[in-house]
Amino acid sequence: MTEGDDAAEATEASPNPVHLDLLDRLERALPGAVVEHGTACGELVVRVTNASWGPLAEVARGDLECDYLSFVSAIDWAPTPRDGGEDAGGDTSAPVQPTDMTFGVAGSAGRFQVFARVQSTARGWGATFKVDVDEATPLVASWVGVYPGADWHERETWEMFGVRFDGHPNLRQLYLPAGFEGHPLRKDFPLLARVVKPWPGLVDVEAMPEEAAAVTAGGDGAGDGAGGGE
Amino acid sequence: MSTTEMPSAPDFELERSAMRHLADAQMNVELDTGDMILNLGPQHPATHGTLRLVVRLDGERVIAADPVIGYMHRGYEKLTEFRTYPQITTLINRIDWLSSFANEVPFVHAAEQLMGIEAPARAQYIRTILTELSRIATFVLFLGEMGLQVGALTPAFYGFRDREHVLNLIEGATGGRFHPNFNRIGGLKDDLPWGWVSETRQVMQLVLDSCDQFEDLVVGNEIFLSRTRGIGIIPGDIGTAYGVSGSNLRASGVDWDLRRDGVPYLAYPDLDFKVWTHSAGDSFARYWVRLQETRESVRMVLQLLDGLPAGPVMAKVPRIIKVPEGEAWVETENPLGQMGYYVVSKGATGPFRVKIRSASFSNVSILPWLLRGVYVPDVVTILASLYFILGDIDR
Amino acid sequence: MGLIDKGRAPKPLTWLLNYSRKYSLWMFQWGLACCAIEMGAALASPRYDMMRLGVIPFPASPRQADLVVISGTVTDKMAPAIRRLYEQMPDPKYVISMGSCANCGGPYWDSYSVTKGVDQIIPVDIYVPGCPPRPEALLQAIVMLQAQIQNEGIGNDQLQKRWRGEPVVIDDPHTAPVVLGPKPEPTAVPVV
Repeated sequence: MTEGDDAAEATEASPNPVHLDLLDRLERALPGAVVEHGTACGELVVRVTNASWGPLAEVARGDLECDYLSFVSAIDWAPTPRDGGEDAGGDTSAPVQPTDMTFGVAGSAGRFQVFARVQSTARGWGATFKVDVDEATPLVASWVGVYPGADWHERETWEMFGVRFDGHPNLRQLYLPAGFEGHPLRKDFPLLARVVKPWPGLVDVEAMPEEAAAVTAGGDGAGDGAGGGE
Repeated sequence: MSTTEMPSAPDFELERSAMRHLADAQMNVELDTGDMILNLGPQHPATHGTLRLVVRLDGERVIAADPVIGYMHRGYEKLTEFRTYPQITTLINRIDWLSSFANEVPFVHAAEQLMGIEAPARAQYIRTILTELSRIATFVLFLGEMGLQVGALTPAFYGFRDREHVLNLIEGATGGRFHPNFNRIGGLKDDLPWGWVSETRQVMQLVLDSCDQFEDLVVGNEIFLSRTRGIGIIPGDIGTAYGVSGSNLRASGVDWDLRRDGVPYLAYPDLDFKVWTHSAGDSFARYWVRLQETRESVRMVLQLLDGLPAGPVMAKVPRIIKVPEGEAWVETENPLGQMGYYVVSKGATGPFRVKIRSASFSNVSILPWLLRGVYVPDVVTILASLYFILGDIDR
Repeated sequence: MGLIDKGRAPKPLTWLLNYSRKYSLWMFQWGLACCAIEMGAALASPRYDMMRLGVIPFPASPRQADLVVISGTVTDKMAPAIRRLYEQMPDPKYVISMGSCANCGGPYWDSYSVTKGVDQIIPVDIYVPGCPPRPEALLQAIVMLQAQIQNEGIGNDQLQKRWRGEPVVIDDPHTAPVVLGPKPEPTAVPVV
């Protein structure tokens, strides 16, 4: 928490002139589109409204001079469920994440957020754009018309998160075999191998040799005793 | 090459436009020669990995190509959510398996930025040396394999020979031939072994010599020239819109190298190096740019060895690594292009979400556009010249 | 080859047949991931040079191959293709699984898209551990396989079974690095 806040305060104290310039251009081209903005380790992060996501591509390519599309992807901000849970004897080896839903730089309205990064090869600047999508019907405009490279990225995002892209020509499976059920990168998609069996590399799951010997000897002793009684 | 003229340039000028090929193909359709669907892969010698390419042919011309990927999809982005930071460096070695060390650098750098620690100068220098060595190991293999794809078997043996020299160096320093896992958050696992620096100088000389050899064997070869010149042209603006990066983009005349133009990282600001570009954008240009970049990397390694500072290789880090809440985007110029990690942390021992931006994924996504209208034998040379790693596409 | 199917080949002939087979293994390279590069180094690099062991790594198709090396991560999407490749190979056929991923899933043991070991879809003769194994390890696997081939059909019924495409169980631990399938009843084994 502190890291993000510090970064935000630092930006307010001494704003990066490039970031201000980019935000200024964005505001002029798309008034009212920016919901919130911040910096993530020195990189500009801008959150825009869902309606302005489609026109944003053209603005980014034209007004912001960002001719290079780095990626399009999504984030699921839902808290990580513990697979099986500790009580159920499930996986305890994965890192424990906070159980409340918190949002990163520039915030979010709900669970799903699509984010993309564009860069300028001539100017050397770049920006990350985020947009909130509805949890029940995740839908956002496609960037394929402006950045043809967004084609595969959006297919991947649809496959992994179930976010639909309005205007994408063929939103079909990219990685997974046809008939795969679910969207793997959603937080509620379990890794079945972990549910079935905890990580075999966990230390201290096996008893030390002496302990194991004691347990076995104790069990045998009881059995012998019972046998002797008969 | 000195005696024979370049294969008549005007002919290739005529063939420049891929759209012209398409027009030809459409004319053939009118003549009703019938289409044929050819399935290249998922196992194909031209792809060291498992790319499947469904191409629709009209005679010898490709009229549509659809890459089918995912045969090597291992679900990295999901797995990172179930691993701690030190465990992830082991995993991400294997994304682009030819230049494993270079994969670790941006991720470790992102974690360091979030934690607010910086690796010591010596560690930064050694990281840079090993990154450049990975680049050399990757590129010499390419320089050899590209010959193989146009039918010359000999360069491949040379490529593997030189790669072996460089891998020995990487193994000597890190203990791992292939997947070093040498980076730690805050520095490196170990310092360089005794005698490594002088050995590296010798090997760099070997690599420089073999670059000359490749130039004689391949670049000067008339068959190679006629198979690659004017084939598979990517214009610069199309390349950037598709997200093509690295040497592939520089071969299209876009003067953009994250080592020089991006956020400064490692020891690159201290180095004096040239960013090579080529204006043609064809398969030959991609080969030529990589050849020059191999030489440039050798020069960089020699500079780094000369300027290697003394000192520790590990900063002070807590015993259990917990990364504070925040987001970081770190991109580096990897051998195959722009590699970036968008790390979202929530203050735990593992990241909340890691978006892995790998170079080959975007480099290959241009194939449907690029292969339209080319001849079938050229498909193989174009694939080889784009130089992708399947793990880097599918992740 | 009817003699071999029925187990009636004389011992010297079997020995000669095995001797010839083991030094002319046509190997199909099924390179999938990182291990493919190490396999390539074992094949093409002058330092390792697998051909000196009598392995010919360039069959035009699986139909001409005796041996397949599965090197790399097997995904669920890839698995049907591997199965089909195996079925296309003519019958005395051998499989080497190279690397942790092909052996058991390796570092992707919990992934949603990775098959946890190629032995779930095809029988494997030799497992090569490592991530990736060094080229020397693959050479060692070839040598072990050749030792196994040499002993087939001499005092056991492995050769006939190989020719009929049945699962082979090897009893001698020294020549048998791996046991395939359930062990059959001893009475069911015809003695040569």
